[in-house]
Amino acid sequence: MEPLSDSDLVQEVRNGRRQAYTELMRRYHQRVYWVARRIVGNHADADDVVQEAFIKAYLALGDFRGESGFFTWIYRIAVNLSLNTVRKRQVMNYLRDSELLSKILPSSDDPSAGIEREEIASSLERAIATLPEKQKAVFVMRYHDELSYEEIAKVLKTSVGGLKANYFHALRKVQEYMRNETETGERPDRR
Amino acid sequence: MKQRLEKDRIADEAERELAHDVRRRAAASHRGSQVGPTDPYWQNLIIRTNARIDDATSGKALSISWAMRVAIPGVVAIVSFLIGLHYYVPEPPEDSLSVAAVMQSLPSAVLDSILSDPSRLDPSLSVQDVGGYLFAGSREQIADYLVVNGSLKAAVEELTEKERSDLLAALGTSGSLQ
Repeated sequence: MEPLSDSDLVQEVRNGRRQAYTELMRRYHQRVYWVARRIVGNHADADDVVQEAFIKAYLALGDFRGESGFFTWIYRIAVNLSLNTVRKRQVMNYLRDSELLSKILPSSDDPSAGIEREEIASSLERAIATLPEKQKAVFVMRYHDELSYEEIAKVLKTSVGGLKANYFHALRKVQEYMRNETETGERPDRR
Repeated sequence: MKQRLEKDRIADEAERELAHDVRRRAAASHRGSQVGPTDPYWQNLIIRTNARIDDATSGKALSISWAMRVAIPGVVAIVSFLIGLHYYVPEPPEDSLSVAAVMQSLPSAVLDSILSDPSRLDPSLSVQDVGGYLFAGSREQIADYLVVNGSLKAAVEELTEKERSDLLAALGTSGSLQ
């Protein structure tokens, strides 16, 4: 028997068959996890993002028109949630570094900051972490998930031309970072 | 058109070369591979997500969200209002006079202009009623007023035995009226 397509499963969920949604999750949870993990840079946040994405998608399934396919839809939700997480962290880091908050919340006392730094293990991950958020998302989708520019354009709702430029700049920055790290033996973001 | 295609081809080639170099460097890095979660994590992830979906769609979650959005702010608003009412209600000045004190202090001519014969307004009204409504401790004045204005019956019938005696004494008469 041929497995049901994504759109069939979505229809089954709409008809009240909850098991069909578990099947959809089973199909895509790893890919959703990895795109989130590569954007947010650590397991704990990626774990939150993947759960949030599937919950959000389930609750909004009534509004899903099926124009772009379930995977593109859930992928878009995950990318947006990941970017939100990165933004929140940037704000937190900014506040943590600010004079006022450092008096209240010393950065050395925050265990999550340490975990985050530890988790960014590879040179490539460290390089990705230095990218601006849009370049980061494009890089992860293109480099790791090997999505076409057309697919990325659907996810980010942007033009293919802009994406190509973003990816090219991201590649150059990553290459530069890794080259510097190899040549000097130091992490360029900690100099 | 041909020129544009050629330009695209060069750009794609440059992109491929860059990506290839990055992959080569990532592979060369001894800590290049990212450690992923184990199998139990993936199984557990689906179970946890399903549980959270159950929570989000159950009545319990609805009531919690309702409490968060409506009930709790409502209770806080009411309590704040009551606290405000308790602490910020305007208090009358300490030297203010009561209505009764003001009435007592009025000259009798003014008082006469305020008072009216209750029996003319409503035969069922008594001295007690009028005294109670207008000011406390003034029943004697009202009785005097009723006597002077010819409403003896209304005045006398409602007086207590002592008041009646006092009134008779004041009028210089002895004995009781029937």
